Amino acid sequence: MSTGIRVASLDDIPEGEGIAVDKTITGTADNIALLRDDDGTVWALDDTCSHEEASLAEGWVEGGYVECPLHSSKFCLKSGEVQGLPATRNTCPHRVNVRDGEIYLFPNEAP
Amino acid sequence: MVDRVVVVGGGIAGVSTVAALRTGGFDGDLTVVDAGEFPYDRPPLSKEFLKGARDLKDIALQPAQWYDDQAVRLVNLTTVTALRPGIAGVELSDGTTLSADRVVLATGGRAARPPIPGSDSPRVHVLRTAEDAERLRTVLAPGARVLVVGAGLIGAEVASTALDLGCEIVLADPVRPPLTGVVGAEVAAWLHEVHAQRGITTVQAGVESFAEVGAGIEARLAGEDEPRVVDVVVLGVGMVPDTALAEAAGLEVDRGIVVDAGQVTSNPAILAVGDPTRTRRNGMLLPRTEHWEAAQHDGERAATTILGVAARAESAPWFWTDRHHLHVEAVGEMAAASTTVLRGRLGEPPFAAFGLREGRLVGAVGVDDSTAVRAARRMIDRGIAVDPTRLADTAVDLRRLLRG
Repeated sequence: MSTGIRVASLDDIPEGEGIAVDKTITGTADNIALLRDDDGTVWALDDTCSHEEASLAEGWVEGGYVECPLHSSKFCLKSGEVQGLPATRNTCPHRVNVRDGEIYLFPNEAP
Repeated sequence: MVDRVVVVGGGIAGVSTVAALRTGGFDGDLTVVDAGEFPYDRPPLSKEFLKGARDLKDIALQPAQWYDDQAVRLVNLTTVTALRPGIAGVELSDGTTLSADRVVLATGGRAARPPIPGSDSPRVHVLRTAEDAERLRTVLAPGARVLVVGAGLIGAEVASTALDLGCEIVLADPVRPPLTGVVGAEVAAWLHEVHAQRGITTVQAGVESFAEVGAGIEARLAGEDEPRVVDVVVLGVGMVPDTALAEAAGLEVDRGIVVDAGQVTSNPAILAVGDPTRTRRNGMLLPRTEHWEAAQHDGERAATTILGVAARAESAPWFWTDRHHLHVEAVGEMAAASTTVLRGRLGEPPFAAFGLREGRLVGAVGVDDSTAVRAARRMIDRGIAVDPTRLADTAVDLRRLLRG
């Protein structure tokens, strides 16, 4: 079992915000958005909204969901499941682990 | 007991109604009657779809499988010819009748075609449906001369897309600047200037008449001595609500289908949602709200009415427009503001403007700054008192301001 990729410090992401990790680092098809919910937990989803070109890392993170910065489709932080139109497809979740204030990403592993 | 619901029309309001019914646990018969092949999303019609970057399947409101998964019967390529209020049923264009316990009218509307002489020419286009967009796309060739009439949301978006396609554009609107009521005077003026900055000729004038000349069309604009000759005209001057079925069924209609706060028409078995509706609240008949999210919320509200559960809390109205590679969002009522506070520099996106009245936020508009607008929406909804200097300070994180 891999130890994951150290991608950021917890302090890099204020609660309710996100950052995008480039796909050259994650080795995935899409960049990965690290999203920190307002309860402090960190989640990871494919960064590009399944509707049009928008970075979910720039979205509004609150109450277990991220809202796309373009047209407000919401996705579940935990499952990537789309909650409402205009997007119709889910986005892919990835496993995240926080150890000693550092965020480790496990691309393509289920959370 | 409601066992059968028929939704008339497969736009965002109609599809949101059925989706919310299923999400809310409705397990009865659910039918959507739609004139098209399948329900699709309209916002891309003036942008990516018009450009040819997306086809109809790409802009489907739901994938085909969704209707099976959700047990929603889609009666496509069919129109409803009459309501049967007695049985809450509908008569279809194929001659059959569908019985139901509740009918939801999601009939939308059509693009307005004001009675301008000559506007019945096939060279004068409107944009409301995918067919309209496909027809328009074929004539938006590089170098085509295009007159766009109306510089509100649709007109500005079409002008932007046509420019990207290489057309030569004149954008005419008698109002200067358009959208002042919804985004405030400063932002409206700047947004309108962007057209000219990108090479569009903006004219402050209405159109008096059209006449076909050769392969083109001549437009006489108010106050201009010479007519302008173009290849294509696009009218973006608003919509006409489709209230025909409601009127024929004797429902209360007043420039829109009149509904109560739960989307119920004057007939308790018939609800109505989306663009063609007007809500009567506390005895006041409100104007129509012709925005995508408002239609979505109508559908959700209709579903809660049918399910007999509480509707979710109202939120300040919100819309977006994408033009000239700028993402513009507005929330609340900028027109109700007595003062405006700017966050960032006007004309240098990302920036936002906040409208305040008596220490409370009443509206906001952002250009490439959706975070400001999302924060503003929550401040408006929660009635949070705001400090204008902190709103204006880009060093202050609005999410934190919201948390207090």
